Amino acid sequence: MTTLSPTHAHGTTAAAAPRRLACLLAEFENPAQIVAAAEQVRDAGYRHWDCHTPFPVHGLDKAMGIGRTILPVLVFFAGAAGCTTGLVLQLFTNSYGFTIWALVKVTGYPFLISGKPALSIPAFIPVMFELTILFSALSTVGLMLLMNGLPWLSNPLFSSERFRRASDDRFFISIDARDPRFYRSKTEHFLKSLGATAVEAVED
Amino acid sequence: MAHDHHHAHDLSDANLGGSVLAPAARNLIGAGLAAVAVGAWLGYRSGDAAHFARHWLVAMMFGLAICLGATFFVVVQHLTRAGWSVAVRRPAEALMQNLRWAWVLFLPVAWMGWNGSLDTLFPWANLDELAKVAPAEAQLVANKSGYLNQRFFFVRAAIYFVAWAGIAAFFWRASVRQDRTGDPAISAACRKWSGPAMIVFGLSITFASFDWMMSLSPAWFSTMFGVYFFAACATCGISVITLLTLRLQDQFGRLRGIVSPEHFQDLGKMLFAFGIVFWAYIAFSQFMLIWYGNLPEETAWYLPRQVGGWLWLSWALLLGHFAIPFVFLISRWTKRIRATLTFGCAWMLLFGLIDIYYLVMPHIPHDLGEFATYGEFAAKHAGDAPHLLDPSFLAMTLGVLMLVLGGALRALSGQSLLAARDPSLRESLAFENM
Repeated sequence: MTTLSPTHAHGTTAAAAPRRLACLLAEFENPAQIVAAAEQVRDAGYRHWDCHTPFPVHGLDKAMGIGRTILPVLVFFAGAAGCTTGLVLQLFTNSYGFTIWALVKVTGYPFLISGKPALSIPAFIPVMFELTILFSALSTVGLMLLMNGLPWLSNPLFSSERFRRASDDRFFISIDARDPRFYRSKTEHFLKSLGATAVEAVED
Repeated sequence: MAHDHHHAHDLSDANLGGSVLAPAARNLIGAGLAAVAVGAWLGYRSGDAAHFARHWLVAMMFGLAICLGATFFVVVQHLTRAGWSVAVRRPAEALMQNLRWAWVLFLPVAWMGWNGSLDTLFPWANLDELAKVAPAEAQLVANKSGYLNQRFFFVRAAIYFVAWAGIAAFFWRASVRQDRTGDPAISAACRKWSGPAMIVFGLSITFASFDWMMSLSPAWFSTMFGVYFFAACATCGISVITLLTLRLQDQFGRLRGIVSPEHFQDLGKMLFAFGIVFWAYIAFSQFMLIWYGNLPEETAWYLPRQVGGWLWLSWALLLGHFAIPFVFLISRWTKRIRATLTFGCAWMLLFGLIDIYYLVMPHIPHDLGEFATYGEFAAKHAGDAPHLLDPSFLAMTLGVLMLVLGGALRALSGQSLLAARDPSLRESLAFENM
């Protein structure tokens, strides 16, 4: 998207290609207002919508009806997988060799280190521990991105001048045009009734 | 960022006043003194001075670990300018202030030094006797006599107790003074002195653990030992802070609506981090370095802990101090529900005690050099076993625990149970885990 001049800030006249309505953006002035408004949007049955605040607002997840994430459970199993990988990797590389169904012969690298047995669990634990941490950390970040559908290269909201204050001193609710309950006039009226100081149409 | 809740918090005397605790404090202190007396009588009657003395040492270190763990909790909150913890800081401060009288627990050891029987506990205290049974070890230990001599030992003990009493008195008095004045400068002063206090705390518990536990086997050494004792302090301290706060709500009807599941979850997190994961990390680090190096003077410490019943106790620690509570307390809900958190904390307190027992009780036998293999040694010592149910040990340990709890309740009974005028109180009351 090219840079818009101030007169074209709302993007209603600019482009050659027909522009699609992306969402309606409602502006609120403080955390209490947005929590109360979020409860109303949730109860109205909207599903494709989000809140944008300059800082984490306690209780907003609940007001939005967002359940607890299953990310920790997945990370627990990722960590367990890392631990097992560390153990199996070392058991295999330190083993004296074995055959799989008498067909494949596998040979390890048994090193004699200060007279310890080739399979010494205490020596394996640091690697098991580190792989547990590595798998947990990478899966936390990776699954978080995946479950949020990130990354996006751009977001229609960035075309709104008003939205810049979401990182400063304003609180926004955006309701996506794809939402089954979205009707432009009805939704705009609804957002105004929640006490929004401004409601803006954001185009893609 | 926190915003105010819609419901009001009850900051009245009926919810915060500590005077209701006075009868319980009296009963606990009375029962604690009686239990210690009964335990001491049983120990004296047993005629086994070495076991009796070590049992007392376990009880003393257990009591100190609770109070020192609480001290760490209080100081680290000021050091990090933590807001969430203000609601639970006063119970921790009350456990901490026990350090003002905790030197009393050391009096039996001081008495042993005075009447010349300190070698009942510490072999280095009488090198002539040690030379008769283990000449090589005696020679080795003689080289440490610049540090391990009785005069310096008691001077150091005095320094530790003065330092601990000083830290405890400073942070306790500052906190209760703020209840009256509401002066935010007091919080600033606590923050300013928390850094030096943490350094003094770290050094003093390290050397105290060297002196009172590591020097039980004077030829042996581990640079990890002080950190190990710190993990024991954190385990016992945070467990008791949590249990005490739960009791204040459930039994005495105080702090209702003040201390919330959010605070309990964070206490559970700290117990999980320091008492379970950190403990396992440093306990294994100490073990693995010694196991890998495989040097006789270092492995000697683990040998008596891996024969007979002690081998089972070692496994019990691995499972009970790490694996089982790790799986149990890792979930969010087990830290937020009172029953599961109570069970987790009581479990960790029990294993904190077993851990100290494991550190203190086993002897390194003097006949170690006569065995060619671990198998031979294990066969000879197959009968060695911990006796955790020894009545004298149980009575003295429970007595010390009751004295620590009674001391905390007694301190609280004259005060508010909440640092109600701390500038960060609002932040703490509104605190939520994300």
